[in-house]
Amino acid sequence: VSGLLRAGTGWLFPAVPLARIAWLRRAVYAFVVLDVLVLHSSGYYHGWADPVWYQPLAMGRLLRLPAASVLLVEVLRWGSVAAAVLGLSGRLPRTAGWLTAVAWIWFQYVAFAYGKVDHDRADFVVALIMLPLAGAASVGDATSKTRSEAAGFVLRAVQLTAIATYFLSAWAKVRFGGWGWVNSATMVRAVVRRGSWLGDQMLHVPWTLHAFQWVLISLELLSPLIFVVGEYWRRRMVAGWYLFHLMTYAAIGIAFYPHLVMMLAFLPLEEYAAGWRARRRERRPAQPGGTEQAGVPPGSRLRLRATQR
Amino acid sequence: VRFVPDIVKQPDIMTPVEQPDTVDPVEQPEILRLSGARKTLLALLLAGLSALFLAGTVRGDDTWWPFGPWRMFATSTAPSGAVVAMRIEVMAGDDAIWRPAPLSVRSVGLTRAEVEGRVPRITADPAMLGTLARSHARLRPGDPPWRAVRVVREETVLADGSPTGEIRSTTVASWP
Repeated sequence: VSGLLRAGTGWLFPAVPLARIAWLRRAVYAFVVLDVLVLHSSGYYHGWADPVWYQPLAMGRLLRLPAASVLLVEVLRWGSVAAAVLGLSGRLPRTAGWLTAVAWIWFQYVAFAYGKVDHDRADFVVALIMLPLAGAASVGDATSKTRSEAAGFVLRAVQLTAIATYFLSAWAKVRFGGWGWVNSATMVRAVVRRGSWLGDQMLHVPWTLHAFQWVLISLELLSPLIFVVGEYWRRRMVAGWYLFHLMTYAAIGIAFYPHLVMMLAFLPLEEYAAGWRARRRERRPAQPGGTEQAGVPPGSRLRLRATQR
Repeated sequence: VRFVPDIVKQPDIMTPVEQPDTVDPVEQPEILRLSGARKTLLALLLAGLSALFLAGTVRGDDTWWPFGPWRMFATSTAPSGAVVAMRIEVMAGDDAIWRPAPLSVRSVGLTRAEVEGRVPRITADPAMLGTLARSHARLRPGDPPWRAVRVVREETVLADGSPTGEIRSTTVASWP
C-alpha cells in the first residue's frame, strides 16, 4: 500500500522544469488580457443592462455579489488586464496570480449571471487558482533547469481538469440528452443557429453531422487514456484535440479558447522555446559549425535538444 | 546519421527525476521539493475541486458555475420538428414600421440567448422590453431612440434532419 501511495504521490507531484510552468503562465495570463479585451465581452456589456435581468448564480448568492454596473465591469475588466500584465512580467507571482484569478472569475460571473452560462470557461478557473501555487518561476530557468514538485502538481491539476471537461461533457450529454443524443439532430441545430460555409455544406449531407456526434462522444469517453500512454502518443493526442477543435470552429464557429490554453499543460513548452531560440541563433550567424543539423527536419526525434548541443 | 545520445529519445516529460546522492551536483538539476504536509494540503484541494465538478456533472445545473455540468450541445434535438430562435423588432425615432434590430450585447447589453431564456417573464411583464430601449440609448447614444420593442419567435422547420425552407414567425410580447 505504501508503495502504491508513493507511486500516486510521485505521479501527482512530478518534478518538472520551472521554465515549463513559466511558459504556461505566460500563455494563461496573455490569454486573460486577450479574453477580457477582445474575445469575451458579454460580461462587459452587462454593465449597461437593467438589473431586472440579473439572475444571481449560487456563487453570487453565497458571496452576495451585486448586479453589474458600468463602474463594476470597468473595474473588473481593467483589473483583470492589470493583474495579468503584472503576472506576465513575472513579478509578485502569487499576488498577481490571486488578483488575476479574482478579477477574471468575477468578470465571468457577471457574464453568466444574466441567464446564459457558457460551458467552455469553467476549467480555466482551475488554471487561475492553481498557477499562483507554483510560486516564482521564470523562463530563464531553462538554463538552470531547476525542477519543482509544486510546478508539477499545478501542471497535473490543469491536465486533469482539461481532460475532465471532455469526459464529463460526455457524461452531461447522456444525462441531459439521453443515450439517444448520438442519433439526435443536435449538430443540425447548432449549424442552423450558427452556420458557416463548412457547416452549411455538411447540412446538405446530414449523415456527416450525425457521424460527427458519434466520433465526438467516443473521443470524449476515451480522453482519459492520455494519462496512460507514453510521451510519443501523448503529444499526438494533444495535436489531435487541437485538430478537432479547429474542425469544430470551421463547422459551427465555436472555439473553446480557454480550454485550448489549458491543453498546453501537456506539452514540454520550455523545450519548444529553447529549440525555437536555437534555430533562430543558427539562422542568424552564417557560421559553418552553426548549421550542423540543418538537414534534420524540425521536430524530428533525431534533432538534438538545444540544451544538449 | 550523426551520433545521437540515448537521452534524446523523448523521455517521459512528467516522470520525476531521481536524484541519487552519488551524482555530481553540477550534472543534476536542482529539485524544489514539497513537504509532506504541503502535498497533503494540495492533494486535498484538488480532491475538493474534483468532488465539486463531479457533483455538478451528476446533480448540478448552470447556477453551480463554475462547477455546473459541461453541457455544450448536450441536449437532443428531434430530427423532425423546429429550431426556435427569437429576434427583436423595434420602432425607432419617427419610423412607424417594425424593423428587425440587433439582439446583441453591443446593442442592448444582453445576448439573444439571455433574452430567449426569459420569455415567460417577458410575456408576464412586457415592460422588461422597455429596459432594452433604455440600455440601447445608453450604449448607442447616436442612434434614434427606440419607442417600441417586440419579441418575435421564429421557427425553422426541420424534416429528417434538414431544414424544409419553411419559417414560422409569431409575436410573443410587445412594449409599450
